[in-house]
Amino acid sequence: MGWRKWNRWIHRELGFLFFGMTIIYGISGIALNHSVARHWNPGIITNATSMQYPGTLQKSEVDRNTIEIILDLTGEKENYKQYYFPDQDHLMIYLKGGHIIVELQTGEMQLTKIRNRPVFSELNYLHYNKPKKLWTWFSDLYAFGLILIAISGLLLIKGKKGITGRGGILTIIGILIPLVLLIFYLWL
Amino acid sequence: MQRSILWVLLAFLAISCNQTVKNEGDNQEAVKTEEIVSATIVELLAAPADYQDKEVAVSGMVTHVCRHGGQKCFIVADDGETQIRIVPGGDIDEFKIELEGSTVAFKGIFRVQTVELTAEELEEYESKEHHEVEQSHSDAEKAEYFLEAVDFKEVTP
Repeated sequence: MGWRKWNRWIHRELGFLFFGMTIIYGISGIALNHSVARHWNPGIITNATSMQYPGTLQKSEVDRNTIEIILDLTGEKENYKQYYFPDQDHLMIYLKGGHIIVELQTGEMQLTKIRNRPVFSELNYLHYNKPKKLWTWFSDLYAFGLILIAISGLLLIKGKKGITGRGGILTIIGILIPLVLLIFYLWL
Repeated sequence: MQRSILWVLLAFLAISCNQTVKNEGDNQEAVKTEEIVSATIVELLAAPADYQDKEVAVSGMVTHVCRHGGQKCFIVADDGETQIRIVPGGDIDEFKIELEGSTVAFKGIFRVQTVELTAEELEEYESKEHHEVEQSHSDAEKAEYFLEAVDFKEVTP
């Protein structure tokens, strides 16, 4: 078997084998990109609801009874953990799966419920290599496979559309874009 | 041929896993032999030089966990005001948001940041989308003192 046939075989077989891994790293990569840029939090979903306490409050007046009233109003009695005052004007009540912030002077309450975002939190768990152990070695194997897929991909087609023609130009563009952006952001 | 490659891969994985377990065991032994100083948050911040780079045990209610990866959290002292920043160290990857509102006992190394690190932290802190509102842990976030936690346990859920 000639080297081109071997090359095609490597590209095809590794492509099939690592399809799932590419999807995992591709989707979680986009999510983490925007997480780092602080556009979006892929790990959690927050839902905020505004409510009103009947009247206003003063820090010195707040006691367990006040907390009970707020928990009744928000329907979160079962989820209560602890409370404290982040500053003179706010009361923070911690709940299992969220919190309530009360603006003491106006009685305005905001109930925030927090839960893990399905699928993305699991994908991020893998992308960040939280499992460690065997996952480290399998993802290393994938990374090595990805390099082989990329190199074998360059040599897949010969002629005008291959690496010596249009393919070569596209390859150079694909290398130059990250290089130029790196120079721009890191050194200019 | 294919079977040989598979066996080589499996052997490689097995050796690598064993080494990881052994290294983790060694680290744990090293930690156990060091002296742990128990202190309150107020005591730590009143005399940071006394505790610098020492292993300390400290507890308090978690007031906030960083939403982006859980790479820091804050606990408040009994006075309800003084807070300290905790960062994950050792085998701790992150702090879960579920810790917010729980009283947690942390064990870790009390650190004083270098100038370079402070600049990085300030740059991150000054990110316009860091927090929607100014929060009570802002001072602790900017402070040069923090605890690098190696272990923690929830005291109250």
